[in-house]
Amino acid sequence: MVGLSDRISGTFFLILGLTMYLYVNPNYIESVDGGSIAPRTFPNIISLIIAVCGGVLLFKPTSQKTPDLRSVGITAFYVLLLVIGLFAMSKYGFEYVAPVLALAIMLAIGERRPLWLTFGTVGIPLLIWFLVSVVLGRALP
Amino acid sequence: MVDLTTILAGFADAFTLYNLTFVLLGVVLGQFVGAVPGIGPIMAMAIAIPFTFGLDTLPAIAFLVGVNKGGLVGGAVPAILMNTPGTPDAAATALDGHPLAKQGKPLKATKMALFSSVTGDTFSDIVLITVSAPLAILALRMGPIEIVALMIFAFSILTGLIGNSLTKGIIAAALGLLVACIGQDPENYTPRLIFGYWDLFDGLPLPSVAIGMLAISEMLRRMSIAHGGKMKSAIVDMDTGNPDDKRVTFAEYWSCRYTLVRGATIGTILGALPGIGSTAAAFMSYAMAKGASKDPASFGKGNLHGVAASESANSAVVGANLIPLLTLGIPGSVGAALIISAFMIHGIQPGPLLFEQQGRLVYGLFGAMIMANFVNLWVGQIGLRFWVKVVSAPESIIFASALLLCIVGVSMATSGLFGVAIMLIFAVIGYVMSSFGYSLVIFIIAFFLGPRFEKSIAQSLALTNGDLTLMLKSPVAVALLVMSVLSFFWFMRKNAQEN
Amino acid sequence: MKAKSTLLALGASALIALASTASAADWKPDGPLTIQIGFGAGGSTDTMGRVLAKSMEDATGWSIVVENKPGGGGVAMFTGLSQRPANGKTIGMGVSIPVLVQLVNRADQLPFTVDSFDYLGTVAKAELALVASKDAPFDDLESMVAYAKQEGSLPVATMAPPQVLMMDQTKAKTGAEFSLVNADGGAEVLKLILGGQVLAGFASGEHFQYLEAGTMKVIAGANQSRLSYAPDSKTFIESGIEAYVDPVFFLAMRGGTDPEAVAAISAAMDEAIKAPEFAKIVQNAVQGDPINMGREGTKKMMVDGLANAKVLFAK
Repeated sequence: MVGLSDRISGTFFLILGLTMYLYVNPNYIESVDGGSIAPRTFPNIISLIIAVCGGVLLFKPTSQKTPDLRSVGITAFYVLLLVIGLFAMSKYGFEYVAPVLALAIMLAIGERRPLWLTFGTVGIPLLIWFLVSVVLGRALP
Repeated sequence: MVDLTTILAGFADAFTLYNLTFVLLGVVLGQFVGAVPGIGPIMAMAIAIPFTFGLDTLPAIAFLVGVNKGGLVGGAVPAILMNTPGTPDAAATALDGHPLAKQGKPLKATKMALFSSVTGDTFSDIVLITVSAPLAILALRMGPIEIVALMIFAFSILTGLIGNSLTKGIIAAALGLLVACIGQDPENYTPRLIFGYWDLFDGLPLPSVAIGMLAISEMLRRMSIAHGGKMKSAIVDMDTGNPDDKRVTFAEYWSCRYTLVRGATIGTILGALPGIGSTAAAFMSYAMAKGASKDPASFGKGNLHGVAASESANSAVVGANLIPLLTLGIPGSVGAALIISAFMIHGIQPGPLLFEQQGRLVYGLFGAMIMANFVNLWVGQIGLRFWVKVVSAPESIIFASALLLCIVGVSMATSGLFGVAIMLIFAVIGYVMSSFGYSLVIFIIAFFLGPRFEKSIAQSLALTNGDLTLMLKSPVAVALLVMSVLSFFWFMRKNAQEN
Repeated sequence: MKAKSTLLALGASALIALASTASAADWKPDGPLTIQIGFGAGGSTDTMGRVLAKSMEDATGWSIVVENKPGGGGVAMFTGLSQRPANGKTIGMGVSIPVLVQLVNRADQLPFTVDSFDYLGTVAKAELALVASKDAPFDDLESMVAYAKQEGSLPVATMAPPQVLMMDQTKAKTGAEFSLVNADGGAEVLKLILGGQVLAGFASGEHFQYLEAGTMKVIAGANQSRLSYAPDSKTFIESGIEAYVDPVFFLAMRGGTDPEAVAAISAAMDEAIKAPEFAKIVQNAVQGDPINMGREGTKKMMVDGLANAKVLFAK
């Protein structure tokens, strides 16, 4: 269906703009006396612009194609991988998590050659460690 | 102001083998670290400063100048080779640089970036060395009212990048401005939309947003394409048998001369005005080059002019940032603020007396800048070959290591995993936005300019006691506003023709 | 790896237990100390913090890592610091005023109070001045107020909430009108003054070269006492406006840290502040000498500062 993609995103932005204007901005931005522009003014104007443009898109969509669900799913998988990696890094540190994360990503992409896998799992984290900790003298996450 | 003997003594101080060594070291470090995805040129500077504690003043500054200039060249490398710009200003370089690389001409694209960068840089250095004082006075006349008008003009030129749907362009820009509202509001200093996270009080960290949106989201997209498929190289440096595909001929460089001069001029002007920055300069230059081209449809598909426009402008900004810094002591960007702190560590306060009190050192610095430009060209020729070799490794390993580097780089730049988490959130937002056909670069520019825009509006309101029609009393502001309207409609017509 | 670090930690804590009978001078950190600076890289606080860390390293042989934790003028860093374990490894460096302002206005949103920290000492005091171009038709606060009344309104650049409040108090007290233009730091204030968009503005050091060159003049001091570099200029208080700000650069650790550690680090810091190279940096940054109020003095400075901020914000 032509225009479905823009109708979806248009609806989203219509709702986002209105939610920001009606709920989030009033509740999460303080009001103050004085000053030449209130803290809420600018965010409110922008929220309304987003809502209006979302509405326009709903009625006048372009021929934008809808995203391919399969590739969205694969991307979601990689995002999940990174989220888990980050969470683990915050618990155990970069030194332990980085090789595992690198291996997981390489395997997922489809790399099977042992030499490249070894290099990615051992060599790259080691190079990063050398660059950051030794050469630049900075702390790893 | 400064007599000739001081100038000559300054240059003589600079042109020694000892200083050349530090310039060379700086350029090598800058080009390398600047090119590593996730780290980038500003990080390279911040990292380099502690190394200069123990040095004498001139070699220390020469080293930093080297890092700064090397970083400019390095920053274009991941943008072109991987389509993963580490800084928003390099995003304009990626628009045409990456298509060229995909066509099997990675060396040609990166070399064009190198030559354009050095051209823009040299142009603004010459302006700095010759006419910085009068230019700085002129820049001071640009008050908040004129800055608001200038930013409106910048936004109007960016219409040229919006593509086929004005509505979606506006949404992308508005979303960028909305995200920029997070943090301290510029007028009343109240925390805004921080939801209890005080780390957000100074706003979302720019490296997280830029790298997440531009680099990580692109990597995610590419990984989903590569997923489970046959392993191939990230970029192939094709041997077409035509040596011109591996280099930039003089004829090609010369054909870009107007684009280069235009870019360098835009960059120099915006660089001399504190607070606008290289991102706006790069995209304004790009949009104008596209607008001026006889074949605008070829932009975004690997037109050398696109690379030339972007790189000449963003590099010119950096030299020109030193104009308000050296003459007035006012830093125009994060990089310039880092240079001020390096000066201060060595007991030198930049300001109106700098030329008088430290004339010899200032001309020594100019000498170092000239050296750094030549060294940049020379090191670049070798360095670029190295990077093109690196990205000919399999995609699997390139993506895995680039992701790790982005995590490390952003956590260094934002001091912790909180910044990395924000990066990941914006990677997802970026991926979804581009999947639905919203321009990420428009978002980023708006995000980048947002706080300054709101602040300048607030300042203008204070100065005019709330009556913005007083803007019309400033001839400069009026001229800029008229130009904004004209360019908006001109670019809209151009967009319509293209579709 | 894991077992090894556990062993190391056990060994280290045993060492600490043994050492606790000895004097503070014998205390040594087991591993690197971290100084977290509440501002971004490149500013005067960052510069002072890094040089301080280096002179501490040189004097004690400890390894000290410097990190930047910007956000809210140090509030983000102190928020983080108050949530860390009190293991004597992390030191925060910030400026008093921005923290006190948030403690007065948004105490309910912050997880810490003035009592949440063990104070190590101070580094320097920033002197805040109201400055104007030398051609401005006024020389002190009284004549500036008179000029504002004559003109109807006078544009003044500010860069933080306390300065806005000081000008508001001046308005309330004298009936003069000021249009307050909020700038992004002292450098932008100078730009606005030099460009003629405002007639006066607050600066905390960025203006020194202009004073030296004779192109700017001090209108009033905004601290409690007069400016060290302009002893002839009256303060706001002396001009009848009961308001002042005293921004102090200070260092603190999470409250409840081993007293031995606090004493040893505080002593090392005091030693480092006396180093001539550090004095030079401070001189460059704030145009004054380093000031260390000591542990008790720093705590008192924060408590008194909070009381003053409450008065300023009328809370």
